[in-house]
Amino acid sequence: MNKLYLWGIIITAIMLGATYYTIFLTKGGLNGDIVNMLAIAGAISLVIITVFVVIKYVRQMQSDTAQGQLADEQWDGIGEYLNDLPMGWAIAFLLTMIWGMWYFTIGYPVNAYSQIGEYNEDSAAHNAKFESKYADITGDRLIDMGKSVFLAECKVCHGLNADGIDGKAADLNVRMEANVVKFAIENGSNNHLLGSEMPMPDRNGLFNSNTGALITDAEIDVVSKYVANGMSGAGADVFVGTCAACHGEDGKGMEYVAPSVATFSPELVTNILNHGKKGSIGQMPAFDRLNAKQKEAVGAYVTDLSK
Amino acid sequence: MFHWLEKHPFFFSVGVFLVIAFAGLVEILPSFAQASRPVIGTKPYSILETTGRQIYIKNSCNACHSQLIRPFKSETDRYGHYSLSGEYAYDRPFLWGSKRTGPDLMRVGNYRTTDWHESHMKDPSGVVPGSVMPAYRWMYSNIADIPTAYAEQLTNAQFFSVPYNEPIPMKDGTTEVVKMANNVTDAHAMALAEAKEIAVDMKDQNVKDAVARGEIPEIVALIAYLNSLK
Repeated sequence: MNKLYLWGIIITAIMLGATYYTIFLTKGGLNGDIVNMLAIAGAISLVIITVFVVIKYVRQMQSDTAQGQLADEQWDGIGEYLNDLPMGWAIAFLLTMIWGMWYFTIGYPVNAYSQIGEYNEDSAAHNAKFESKYADITGDRLIDMGKSVFLAECKVCHGLNADGIDGKAADLNVRMEANVVKFAIENGSNNHLLGSEMPMPDRNGLFNSNTGALITDAEIDVVSKYVANGMSGAGADVFVGTCAACHGEDGKGMEYVAPSVATFSPELVTNILNHGKKGSIGQMPAFDRLNAKQKEAVGAYVTDLSK
Repeated sequence: MFHWLEKHPFFFSVGVFLVIAFAGLVEILPSFAQASRPVIGTKPYSILETTGRQIYIKNSCNACHSQLIRPFKSETDRYGHYSLSGEYAYDRPFLWGSKRTGPDLMRVGNYRTTDWHESHMKDPSGVVPGSVMPAYRWMYSNIADIPTAYAEQLTNAQFFSVPYNEPIPMKDGTTEVVKMANNVTDAHAMALAEAKEIAVDMKDQNVKDAVARGEIPEIVALIAYLNSLK
């Protein structure tokens, strides 16, 4: 018997023995599972086929002799047969050359993959979809979008109900709380909202034209409550005398001079989102990463909250 | 030479390996070095930020928070521009993290502020309902270790040539200088100056008092570090 076959049988036996050991002599075994059985059958046939295919080719290498007509030339006793190139090989060679040219000229330079390229394509596709779907929405849909953006970006500070979580951020259900108004009067405000270049002065620059003197503590208290109450109650005279010159008699503000203290407006909210602000509670960062429509939507939502 | 190599396959293999390895180095190293240079706008950490970074590491913040924004639309929408390798140029070690139990903090300085961090670190679920983050109340009383942070700064400056006291180019075309002290006493004074700016925006009276006394609670340093992440 050929030594090769002997080796083949020995290796097959070892592999099958190892398979038997790992499956049947360990806990669980085949477990009556059809998938396990199929896997084992596959493993056994793979072992047997591999061993005998290898044996076949090794024997062929041992016994094969070259055939065909020799060419006339010889190089140091090394000759060459005049056999034709196998057709499959020739076609594959030609295809490889064509692919190579395509790859050098078009494939790699134009169609190369990059992670950032994929990101850019993703973003462009997403933005285009956003534009086509949401560019023209108004009214309730805009407010709904504002609410979803608010829940994603703003609620960590302003809270789920926009109530400012016990004073940790501004309560957006009202335009201004009394302590916020008071802080602005006492310390001034320099947030450049709505393109107003003039900062609001602190209390040492705020005259009450009714009395002709600087605003007093009592007046600050009463006007703060007046603004916080939605421009009603006591304090209207102080507001007219001190604040109305910039914020208007109704408190709705003046373009390029001062923002409205009576109501929110989408422009005001967008402006705060663009620049952030620093007020009585702390600093709010800018949210540049929202797109214009999202800022408008947040503005619509916040305006709607305090209506 | 070549004749000899043809007769010695082992040394021939070694030669082939060396030639291919050299080609690989020439191809890979320059672009690698280029990518790891600090990008415009990346500054070294100041003394208080370095202290905060050590506190961040000490409390294993990086076990739950990553500092690496991947280039996916969903991530850049939430966290900002994807991370560039040059942005980690002054991070030793980098704090990429491997798991996000909490959100990514690579650019948290862009969208959170001092007063938010203050109330959040004291009681996370009070600010973020349902948060599983534990409270870190001891940071409000523990005093930060400035000398160790100064030692780290000194090592970075002397062994890794981190450019302290040199102009750093910023995105808007200007330059900024991050100062490093000459000795521990100066370092403490510089850290205190930074801490005072942060304490102004804080509400905890004990922390404010400590800073006024010249002590720096850990929370102040940590907030300085978090604010610097942009």
